[in-house]
Amino acid sequence: MSGQANGSLLETITLTKRYRVGNHLFSRHNKVVHAVERVSLAVQEGETLGLVGESGCGKSTLGRCLIRLYEVSDGRIFFEGTDITFLGPRALGPHRERMQMVFQDPAASLNPRRRVGELLAEPLIVHRRGTRAEIRARVRELLREVGLRPEHDERFPHEFSGGQQQRIGIARALALAPRLIVADEPVSALDASVQAQIVNLFLDLQERLGLTYIFIAHDLSVVRQVSTRVAVMYLGAIVEIGPTDAVLKAPSHPYTQALISAVPVPDPAAPNRRRIILEGDVPSPIDPPSGCPFHPRCSFATDHCRSERPALAPQGRGWDVACHYPLGTT
Amino acid sequence: MSGEAKASILEVRDLTVSFRTERGLVRAVDGVSLTLNEREILSVVGESGSGKTLTVLSVMGLVHSPNAIVEGSIRFRGRELIGLPDREMRRIRGGAIAMIFQNPMTALTPVYTIGHQIAEQVRAHRRFSRRAAWAHAVALLASVGIPNPSGAAHRFPHELSGGMRQRGVIAMALSCDPALLLADEPTTALDVTVQAQILDLIRKLRSEFGSSVILITHNMGVVAEIADRVAVMYAGRIVERAETRALFREPRHPYTLGLLGSIPPLEGERPRRLPAIPGVPPSPFAIPAGCPFAPRCRWSQAACAARPPLLAEEGHETACILSPEARAAARSELLAAPVGAT
Amino acid sequence: MFSFVVRRILHMLLVLVGISAMVFLIFFATPGADPAARIAGRNATPDTVAAVRKEFGLDKPLPVQYVLMMDHLLVTRDLTSFVNRGEKIVPEIEEAAPVTLSLVLGAAVIWVVFGVLVGVIAAAFKDTVIDRGLMVAGLIGVSIPVFWLGEVVNLLTQSRLHDTFLFSWVPALGYVPLRANPLGWFAALVLPWITLAVLYIGIYGRVLRANLIEALNEDYIRTARAKGLSDWQVLTRHALRCSLISFVTMFGLDFGALVGGGALLTEVVFGLQGVGALTYRALEDLDLPMIMATVIYASFFVVVSNASVDILYAAIDPRVRER
Repeated sequence: MSGQANGSLLETITLTKRYRVGNHLFSRHNKVVHAVERVSLAVQEGETLGLVGESGCGKSTLGRCLIRLYEVSDGRIFFEGTDITFLGPRALGPHRERMQMVFQDPAASLNPRRRVGELLAEPLIVHRRGTRAEIRARVRELLREVGLRPEHDERFPHEFSGGQQQRIGIARALALAPRLIVADEPVSALDASVQAQIVNLFLDLQERLGLTYIFIAHDLSVVRQVSTRVAVMYLGAIVEIGPTDAVLKAPSHPYTQALISAVPVPDPAAPNRRRIILEGDVPSPIDPPSGCPFHPRCSFATDHCRSERPALAPQGRGWDVACHYPLGTT
Repeated sequence: MSGEAKASILEVRDLTVSFRTERGLVRAVDGVSLTLNEREILSVVGESGSGKTLTVLSVMGLVHSPNAIVEGSIRFRGRELIGLPDREMRRIRGGAIAMIFQNPMTALTPVYTIGHQIAEQVRAHRRFSRRAAWAHAVALLASVGIPNPSGAAHRFPHELSGGMRQRGVIAMALSCDPALLLADEPTTALDVTVQAQILDLIRKLRSEFGSSVILITHNMGVVAEIADRVAVMYAGRIVERAETRALFREPRHPYTLGLLGSIPPLEGERPRRLPAIPGVPPSPFAIPAGCPFAPRCRWSQAACAARPPLLAEEGHETACILSPEARAAARSELLAAPVGAT
Repeated sequence: MFSFVVRRILHMLLVLVGISAMVFLIFFATPGADPAARIAGRNATPDTVAAVRKEFGLDKPLPVQYVLMMDHLLVTRDLTSFVNRGEKIVPEIEEAAPVTLSLVLGAAVIWVVFGVLVGVIAAAFKDTVIDRGLMVAGLIGVSIPVFWLGEVVNLLTQSRLHDTFLFSWVPALGYVPLRANPLGWFAALVLPWITLAVLYIGIYGRVLRANLIEALNEDYIRTARAKGLSDWQVLTRHALRCSLISFVTMFGLDFGALVGGGALLTEVVFGLQGVGALTYRALEDLDLPMIMATVIYASFFVVVSNASVDILYAAIDPRVRER
């Protein structure tokens, strides 16, 4: 199922990312982090795929692998039908323009010593998008696009608030008119009221510019607001992927169910939905369990779960889950 | 549930924390008053710059800057804390009043084991031998749900995960049976499944240990789950305060309305756009003279140029001049359905 | 912790072998000059040169030469200095080493103790007169050339004020072996110790103060205060231990360099025949075997110092032990 066949904007086939940690004398003995394990997904143009999970689930690593910020260990990535997995920097250049990333910490991702106008102009200059005057005009247009005043292009990042800095980060991602934006926890570092503004901005931009998003977040409520589809990750693998509302209303995977029930509801009158409290900690991807990675914390685990790893497969209600005994089926 | 029935353990009156800066005197906390009863969980909600952390640090006497001026009254069990000599305050700090902070990853000293750090606090307040203090530390780790507590006590902080570290921090705070626990965003840096465990633990504190808790958070979901009463702070002042159910059923202050409205709902209808509060919280250098929220408020009027007092109606306090009718209209405008309707 | 120590020691041995090989190559394999002629010295007769060639096996392949050299140096210990008429090198170094070690160890104890005191007190009384005063004093200490200070000390204690009760106990310049006369050893070294230490107290105090002030802004310090510990306890128990890394790093470097011969000026000024003085003489005479021996000796101490520092890190900061 290649990108050319069904027209996905971005597609991965068993994408895997592993790396070694430790300083052992013999590097063979160093531990291996299974950050992303055989992830296959396809993102259609115009949709927003939300990636949720907790620490160590690999969502950030996956996001960075998708735009080739990290090298993959195994598998393939197709963007606009082209296999970009192993392209060198020069060949990758034109593709890179059309897929961009927005990062979590706006203060850390903007060079504090450069003026905002320079920061936004840089990608345009590097990719030779016009004369100096044209670039300046485009920079001002970008600032307006994200709700900032064009006159502020002479300011430095620290002169802006957190929310405004994130807008600048978004503007930078938009500079080259990409088709796909990977947003890695873009609102987690912001105050609650500002989060709503930025979420709205993402939605506005998508409508206006026809963008496709991969939206990585740990906050389920935010993901629900922006995503058409959601993929739940656990220990490097996708355990459930399907239409957002359907999955959240009736999850098939026990982890998804536990995740949803753990979110505190801003309604004291609601009956205490939190029946499912998972024991123990989010596990480390260095030593993943045998079989299904979730079995140590799953109240429904059987021997089959402990020995054989379930593949991501349709569960009969319209989306895919990686579980031997999906919820809602007999 | 009137205030008289329960004994009050903490009474803060007109607390003001100002800082001397090059640009003049800055008021980070402006006339905050609150009361906390025994076995009560009070949640203080606010965003950056609201003064919530400073309020709580003042209770602990931990506002350290030489440029800080702390005025007002903080009475803990009837005893005035402001102006107390540091030697006396140290007996209370970590003893009767304990505090836990936001980031568990950096809250513990990296070069000592968890057991050592807990035992250190115990021995700072009680006359325990080393062995007894260590045993107490292990027992505490067990009571907060850490598996293999005697082994864990020998671990260094970097050998534990975030959730375990936060439990360790809570165990440490509880080591001298505090009557009051101050928790500054204790779950913000944790995964949501771990957060659920920690919140359960805090609830247990109240029921089993009998502590009162002030919990600072910006997550309204956490507030709804665990708090008995809520105080909403903005620009150094309390702008609304009520019992939790009352606040969610009938939020009155436009800022509270804005906060509640900007939460994307996990269930029910998805709004096309979130009703977000425009603008940003004011910098402490530029707090407006009258109502601090007026510049961002959709319903601000001429009368907002004067600072609105915090007035109570049936136990629900609000610092806003809007009439009840105007408030109801604001509520229905901002929130699709009243929060709390099933 | 044990495995960490073992790993470090193995690492250290590897480095030592590497250094000895490199030193050897520099002296014996640099193209253009004849090592035999250099070893034999400036005014050697052709016979001497031939003897040198035979003794060091200079007609044999390089690896054999290396082994022969190491054999002379470490095993049979009969490396001779041709320039100085057959003087045996290794015993000379063995005699000079304790002198240097005594000098540097004693000074190190003083500068570490006072460096920590100065750093801690300055940080505790930050921005007060005490703090500023200590930092200025430290700066003065850093700026004084050690030989000048040494000569001034000598001037006062040996001649001008020698007869007063203050300094009448000061013995004549030179080293007194520890085993022969412990009290004399001590008396002869006190002033050199202080002179050498003055320079370092200033630097170490400043560095520690800066690290302490930085550490005091960390989250775990806030927790420690919230536990009810006093400011002094917080400073000495929590902040100090987390601030020692720079201090220990610098100490490793300085100590190693000094023991390896860097205390040369102090040794000369106080008439102590240590390794520094020895190296100086060898350089003057262009005594190649001696220079080579002192270079290897010096590098040995630098490497050992660094390995010890690494082990010390692991003792101070458990996060390091995994590596």
